[in-house]
Amino acid sequence: MKKKILCTIMSVSMVASLLAGCGGKDTGTQGSSSDTPTSEAGASADAGADDAGASDDAGADDGATADDPYAAYAGTTISVAAIETAYGSQMWQEVADAFTAETGIAVDLTTDKNLEGVIGPSMQGGEYPDVIHLATGREAALTEQFIKDNMIADITDVLSMTVPGETVAVSDKIAGGFTDTSLTNPYGDGKTYLAPMFYSPCGLFYNAGLLEEKGWEVPTTWDEMWELGDKAKEEDIYLFTYPTTGYFDAFLYALMYSAGGPEFFDKATHYEEGIWETPEAQTCFDIIAKLATYTNPITPAQANDQDFTQNQQLVLDNKAIFMPNGTWIVGEMAEAPREEGFQWGMTALPAVQTGGDSYSYTWFEQAWIPAGAENQDAAKLFVAFLYSDTACEIFAKSGAIQPVLGIADKLEGDNVMFYSIYDNGAKAAMGNFAAFDAIPGVEVRTVFLDPVNSLVSGDMTEEEWIANVISASDQMRANLK
Amino acid sequence: MKSSKRRNGFLAVCIAPAVVLFVIFMILPTLNVFRMSLYEKGAYSQTETFVGFKNFQMLINDANFIRSMQNMILLIVVVTIVTFAFALIFAAILTREKIKGQNFFRIVFYIPNILSIVVIAGIFSAIYKPENGMLNSIIGLFRDMTNPILWKGESLVMVSLIIAMVWQAIGYYMVMYMASMSSVPESLYESSNLDGAGRLTQFFQITIPLVWTNIRTTLTFFIISTINMAFLFVKAMTSGGPNGASEVALSYMYGQKDAGLYGYSMAIGVVIFLFSFALSALVNKATDREPLEF
Repeated sequence: MKKKILCTIMSVSMVASLLAGCGGKDTGTQGSSSDTPTSEAGASADAGADDAGASDDAGADDGATADDPYAAYAGTTISVAAIETAYGSQMWQEVADAFTAETGIAVDLTTDKNLEGVIGPSMQGGEYPDVIHLATGREAALTEQFIKDNMIADITDVLSMTVPGETVAVSDKIAGGFTDTSLTNPYGDGKTYLAPMFYSPCGLFYNAGLLEEKGWEVPTTWDEMWELGDKAKEEDIYLFTYPTTGYFDAFLYALMYSAGGPEFFDKATHYEEGIWETPEAQTCFDIIAKLATYTNPITPAQANDQDFTQNQQLVLDNKAIFMPNGTWIVGEMAEAPREEGFQWGMTALPAVQTGGDSYSYTWFEQAWIPAGAENQDAAKLFVAFLYSDTACEIFAKSGAIQPVLGIADKLEGDNVMFYSIYDNGAKAAMGNFAAFDAIPGVEVRTVFLDPVNSLVSGDMTEEEWIANVISASDQMRANLK
Repeated sequence: MKSSKRRNGFLAVCIAPAVVLFVIFMILPTLNVFRMSLYEKGAYSQTETFVGFKNFQMLINDANFIRSMQNMILLIVVVTIVTFAFALIFAAILTREKIKGQNFFRIVFYIPNILSIVVIAGIFSAIYKPENGMLNSIIGLFRDMTNPILWKGESLVMVSLIIAMVWQAIGYYMVMYMASMSSVPESLYESSNLDGAGRLTQFFQITIPLVWTNIRTTLTFFIISTINMAFLFVKAMTSGGPNGASEVALSYMYGQKDAGLYGYSMAIGVVIFLFSFALSALVNKATDREPLEF
């Protein structure tokens, strides 16, 4: 009998340990992808709530004694998630610290190069960061999905808020035009949902030293461009390359502006019926198709996320003259070897005909507040703070330029030349393709941009490309938001 | 009677933890995939609409999906056959022949299997580089390289993927075959030797039939792992490009989720699930033989 009891006790303990072991293991493997962020976020949220509860009394006392505008937020912790790009992540930590010093609101900062993978799983579980800084146009298209599903908080009131630590309103600081684009007001209802961040003029980047050495002029029209291409070909230099087809978005936008002006751009980006059969559209298609024949043929083989820097290297090695890019390229390729006498140059897209307008697309990133965020008011304060002089200076040190008035004085090095592009005759192109409800197999990138790879390699003709654009555009129009 | 009841109760208690965990972490998610394939939903939105079989109807007309399935089937067939052949031959050589540095080769073949896919993608990125890449430099010794071969270009990208996947998989299967080959009794080879059987005859008449059960198991492994590995390789090496030429079913499914079509991507998941299930069953049935014992 005693033996039996012993046996039972032992087997029970075995089962218990088995349970414990299995439980631990399974949540562990799951946790690496989804549970940990949730539980962490949960923990910090709890901590925040506790703090808030504890300091409620303190807050009341403060309110009585001092005139602290942020007393209501005492003890609040907001979580901020920012993508780490060529500018690095250090600046975000500094800005977060400055924000905490100014308002007393603690910031729980997450930065990662693959931000979608880090915050995505917990958001699927319903836990949202309070502020997300993540540009559109990325492969994971997280921001686009939030726009499509109407899951972004309206931040129009942030524009009239006073910048923390200053006396001016946010709208008085942001440079003109940045808050009226389809990127910040995606639904075209006059309300702002995304805050414009770090702008960069996009254009064609080249080795100014090479052109100088050969005595070549920077082309101002596409005809001059082709002439230069023929001349360069004789010296075994190709006219053009591109990092990945994704870089054609800014290129295509600027091209559409210079081919047909803002009116054509607006119609095209809203997929108006018959728009792709107009002469303006034909000009755009023709130029890209012709450019494909002038492109260094090894480009498509390297136009993927793994090898795109090798395409950028082609410009540094004088194997291609121009590539579409943004000002971050200087920092991105800072360590790369280069030809002697190399010097960055940047030009707007050439005009379609002599005397026509040349355009440079203004690329900018976005910060936004998920509609499901917990501390929306504190988050709005943070967004407002991003335009403060303090924050702008911290960002500018890393090369990230906020779209605020008077930022030109804070520019250094190559950036002075890059950002003066609009002072030298180029017009600014802004906006993007209008959001539409997701359609299986039809995305802006796969329809408009990716086929450039096939044009270069000769696996697709211009006519096939146009036919695909027209049929996809019909579907996009039918699904417009 | 009473004791058997208690025994059953005891067994139930013992099995319960595993069953509960299995149901929660395996069965429920799988059922959820099937359920979600009938809905329309963004990856992050909390609302979902029931759409019946609409997702599947759209799948049939989606040319990109068809191409990604074709690519996946191509990989399954070619990678399986090539890896299978090489692994068997190498395993037979390493177990049957007396070669200097046998262990060395065994390790060398196995190393790719230990490397992470991202590392392999980096290695092959250097090998396939159009200019100064290892492969093109070697070929450049024999032919003019003014127009370099574009290994990751649209026409060759699938071949490049196949080479990398075979390179990665050989070692693993080789070790598996070696394990079962070394348990084949030496006496069989000696007696067949006396009967005048050459090495090839021995390989086909003795080795293969005796490791057949092992081969059958690995064929199922091949199908499942190629489907999974293809996704990793494509993500790390080509991101589906150029212009979608190297997209496989799983990477397409992943991309559609990012495009905001969660339900649609789950429908793709269902198709892949059923496909791999059916294919495994088919292969299992086709390779069914009376097991031989030694």
